[in-house]
Amino acid sequence: MGIQEQYRNEAASLLSSGEVKLVIGFGAGSTADRRRPLFACTAAEAEQFVLDSACIANLSAYLVTEGLLTDGKKVAVYLKPDGLRSINILIAEAQLKPEQVVILGYAIENGEVKPLTGRSIGDFTDLGDRIRATTPPPAVVQEAERIDAMSSDERFAFWKEQFSKCIKCYACRQVCPMCYCRRCIVDVNQPQWISTSSHTLGNFEWNLVRAFHLAGRCAACGACDRACPVNIPLRLINYRMGKEVRDAFDYCAGENSGQKPVLASYSQDDSETFIL
Amino acid sequence: MTRILLKSRLDDCLASWQSAGFSVLAPVQRHEMSTFGEVQKASDISLDLVLTERTIKDHFFPQTEPLIRYKIGRQQIDSVTMTPPERKRVFFGVRPCDASGLAIDDPLFGWDYKDDYWFRRRENSVIITIACTQADDFCMCTSVKLSPDSTKGADVMLRPLANGSGWQVETISERGKALLDTVSSLIQEESSETAPPPEVAEKFDVGKVMEWLADKKNFESQFWKDIALRCVGCGSCTFLCPTCHCFDIQDEGDTYQGIRRKNWDSCSFALFTMHTSGHNPRNTQSTRWRQRIMHKFNYYQGKFGVNSCSGCGRCTRQCPVDMGITETLQAITNLPR
Repeated sequence: MGIQEQYRNEAASLLSSGEVKLVIGFGAGSTADRRRPLFACTAAEAEQFVLDSACIANLSAYLVTEGLLTDGKKVAVYLKPDGLRSINILIAEAQLKPEQVVILGYAIENGEVKPLTGRSIGDFTDLGDRIRATTPPPAVVQEAERIDAMSSDERFAFWKEQFSKCIKCYACRQVCPMCYCRRCIVDVNQPQWISTSSHTLGNFEWNLVRAFHLAGRCAACGACDRACPVNIPLRLINYRMGKEVRDAFDYCAGENSGQKPVLASYSQDDSETFIL
Repeated sequence: MTRILLKSRLDDCLASWQSAGFSVLAPVQRHEMSTFGEVQKASDISLDLVLTERTIKDHFFPQTEPLIRYKIGRQQIDSVTMTPPERKRVFFGVRPCDASGLAIDDPLFGWDYKDDYWFRRRENSVIITIACTQADDFCMCTSVKLSPDSTKGADVMLRPLANGSGWQVETISERGKALLDTVSSLIQEESSETAPPPEVAEKFDVGKVMEWLADKKNFESQFWKDIALRCVGCGSCTFLCPTCHCFDIQDEGDTYQGIRRKNWDSCSFALFTMHTSGHNPRNTQSTRWRQRIMHKFNYYQGKFGVNSCSGCGRCTRQCPVDMGITETLQAITNLPR
């Protein structure tokens, strides 16, 4: 039995036993190469789950949907290592209770889908090693290095061109598991802190606010980059911010759920005499 | 014998228009995105795209538009109205769905108040549509009763020749005729066969859909909750839509001076309908998605006699979770009656 059938059966039995109220996985998409998020509440609906190397979305973003987990019931979700990372970050930030999430874990290696052993986030003890051993795509590293080597004027011109494409659809925010704020700073309109206009200044404000807000919190799943309808290379920003945090604090977000959020915690031994 | 414009004459054609004072906008690839941008010569143009990622709507109803510059004094407020630029433009290589989108939006912008920003740009622009010879999995113009060679919204229609050497030229409007007159020496009489338009299968029955939407008891149907479950609530489908036209008015500046702007807004956003009291009449994503479908295939039809969808398929093509109008309308078509 392949992993697709194995997980389908598992999802069906989780639902029919009443252990979970919902399973979030993947179904067939509108074309042969697309997969779409699928929500199953019954064993019969679980029959439609698909699992193959095209299932690359990070479904953990749905777990922070307002009201989903407030009844205390459990939800099962198909997750890759980047999704597990997201879960750890959400737990560290007190947005999820580990016991409410049942995990159907898988990894895609050389185009093959492999099961990951464990059902509860605490079971994935090798996640930290896995994250640290994962190298970012060479194209991303090369492009980031090319931009780093630019003069500040050239770099500014590069991002100005890229951000000028932004239409403020907020797809990057909406697909991001870490963008769980019930009211995002751009939606705070009394007063309007961040301009809603998608002119150069407004687009810089939005993209920089998001970059700073994700520093040390990004699971590097690439959901924002894939979602951007105007192809802004958001992967470069997230890679660069992640590298900065790793170099400065030896910190990889989401290695385990016992982590303290790196930019939201302090210790008496910190060299600074202030808290920002 | 029909009138033919050869591709080899396109550079001369662009030069004639430019020297007559027109800016020429056409499909281009810029910074990893396809859009309509100003071009100088034929080689700048990407003619082989099924469709640009961005619509030409952007050039008539921009994502942000300054309306008024104001200054608040002790006793008075000084304001200067900002008007859109007057420049004349040729849009070359528009797809029939995008051109139709403009025609669909015309009655909206001219309904209770004539939107100068829209119409000034419309009146100064000539739309040259090129009929499609290819379609992708997301194209659905035939489902909304348009076609890959529809002339709706066009001033001039170009039909690609089967041998790929150029286009058959058809004048659609007076404005188109006036533009073609400036390049009459570049157009020749010839009998050449045109390439057939692509097959675009009908994906839903729009008549059945409209009937179901018009039935008031379906407004609270469980269908809406189920179909919108995975919608993440971004605005990409609305902002990439050639007919979506909602906007918000924002004053940008400080206490004493600023600029009043008209910015794109989206019914996908919770904030779109949020009341000052904190109450939100569309407080779930399913009610927001229902609004989008109802607006396009019921309310707009009731007000202007046309559906607010030209079948470009961008909503599905670009959706981060593979939703879109096609899936929803297919599902409505197939509902048990």
